[in-house]
Amino acid sequence: MRRDPAADAAFTEFAAANRARLRSTAYLLCGDWHRASDHVQEGLLRVYVAWPRLVRQGGEVAYARKAVVSAFLDARRKRSSSERPVPEPGERVSGEDLASAVADRDALMAALARLPERQRACVVLRYFEELDVRETAAVLGCSEGTVKSQTSRALASLRAMFEDESREELVVAGERSFPW
Amino acid sequence: MVNDLKQLMRDNVAAPPPDRLDLDALVPAGRRRVRRRRTALLGCTAALAAGAVVAVGIGGPGGSGRVAEAAHPPKPDAPTIRLADATQAVTGRDYEVLASFTNQNLDRDNGQYFDGVTDDGLVLFRDGPREAQPTPRFALMDPATGAKDWLPDLDIGWAQTWPVELGADRLVLAGVDSRSSRFVTYVFDRAGRQWTTMSWPGLPKAAEPFSFVPHDGRLYLRVPASVGQPPPGGWPTGPDGEADDADAEGDTYHLWSVSLTDSSDVRDEGMTVGDVAFTQGSMVWTDRSGGDPGRVHVRSLATDEEHSFDPQEGEKCNVLSFGATGDRIVMSEYCGTYADGVRDDRVQILTTDGDQVVTLQDNGVDGALAGPGSSLVTMTAYQPKLGGTYVYDLAADRLLRVSEGFSRYGSGGGAPDGMFLYGTPVNHGKGQTTWLAKLLD
Repeated sequence: MRRDPAADAAFTEFAAANRARLRSTAYLLCGDWHRASDHVQEGLLRVYVAWPRLVRQGGEVAYARKAVVSAFLDARRKRSSSERPVPEPGERVSGEDLASAVADRDALMAALARLPERQRACVVLRYFEELDVRETAAVLGCSEGTVKSQTSRALASLRAMFEDESREELVVAGERSFPW
Repeated sequence: MVNDLKQLMRDNVAAPPPDRLDLDALVPAGRRRVRRRRTALLGCTAALAAGAVVAVGIGGPGGSGRVAEAAHPPKPDAPTIRLADATQAVTGRDYEVLASFTNQNLDRDNGQYFDGVTDDGLVLFRDGPREAQPTPRFALMDPATGAKDWLPDLDIGWAQTWPVELGADRLVLAGVDSRSSRFVTYVFDRAGRQWTTMSWPGLPKAAEPFSFVPHDGRLYLRVPASVGQPPPGGWPTGPDGEADDADAEGDTYHLWSVSLTDSSDVRDEGMTVGDVAFTQGSMVWTDRSGGDPGRVHVRSLATDEEHSFDPQEGEKCNVLSFGATGDRIVMSEYCGTYADGVRDDRVQILTTDGDQVVTLQDNGVDGALAGPGSSLVTMTAYQPKLGGTYVYDLAADRLLRVSEGFSRYGSGGGAPDGMFLYGTPVNHGKGQTTWLAKLLD
């Protein structure tokens, strides 16, 4: 695998341009900004290893997104992660004192954290990264049917959690109940 | 009023704290990753898991915040030794160095490496990829003289390769085709001095390319079947504050095999396994990989008779590498973290009948066979005082400390029985000397 200075410079430029977006995705997956940075770092290292092939074939961004999601999923089942749990809804210190909008955001992060990780990944990829079902399936290495069922279950769980918290209904703007 | 999921997600990432990711460190770290991947396989099946043994932060996601009980690591139910029990090896008495090569600064650029040793004792020497040699080239090096016989260009550009078989007649390297992303092998006929490429269209694309096990003219590969799940509520938090996934569930795989000479010969072995290894007379496998191994199964290759046993690896042990040779099984394990962040790491050696031979237990150590069929286990210890390379001689049941200090870089591929490769740090850890040594009786 070639490691000439030009290729390294191109990789560094790519990493600089995409790190913020990747970190946001990772944060929504893991609920911790520091761990998100770790997942992005791990994902970008995987991109570096594959960089010559990616440069020849294109698809660097898609590969990087997949690498970060994989890094998150790997960390969930291997011992190298020190991911911290986000507060459970009932543990929030904000209570009634915080503005409702902030509480809703917290509620979403807490609800996401309670989803199985692959369901969570489906939600983040579909509604934050705005990938379609086919693209999401490609990132997660599963069938489109699995993405649909996982997303459906995830949305149902999220809505139920919001309802249990007596929060306003959770919807996906511009979508019907089953947005595929 | 309603809550829009998309908007809530966007709002949640609208004001991130400063990013601690150091972009300048990514490229050197990436280079190290490329090198580590090249040397990750020593003929054992759990190469990727073995890489995770390096003494870094431990744990899994801390889902529940439950705190694991802090205590001292339990003693294995087996004859047990520790690193401090090793005898300091002496050059000329216990071992002799056959060859060495130093890369002064691997942080700055890739270098030249020992990728393994052929059955007739030549070093597969790889040059690159590095700035001055962007496309890797290979040579067979005579360790006695250092003379290199450069092989014809493999002509695969930057693609990475891993040694599968380094025989007197042929060399087989594994790789991944850059266009199809499928597993391939590159075979060098040493007499005809020609490379040929093998691929298997019938092999599932999901076959793990880096965890192959060669045996009797075939390669055994694993296709993911099930993924171990964390316990309800997530992993407990260990005394070091990290989530601790000791006693993980482990993953399972469907076992496939391919012929090394016939691209149409692809076989679903019809088995669900964890880790797999072969000795000359038996096939050995576990139920699961990367966690609790379940039972160990042994099948006679001559009679197809099978037996299985509980390896008694300890309640919390995750098996991270697995190998077998002769009538011995070698498992490197992580068994939890205890008070003051002390890790319970073990290298467990047992017979193929399930009898416990010896378990090395210590804080920050891993091990694997020195090569396919080797009677030597090389271990790397990551402690400040006791760090370095250790060799356990399965034939003589002796533990030798060969070097002090451990290198951050891979130490090369496998070696024939009696030989071993290891690395020592140079230039304040920026570089490494790779050594090929032979154990003396």
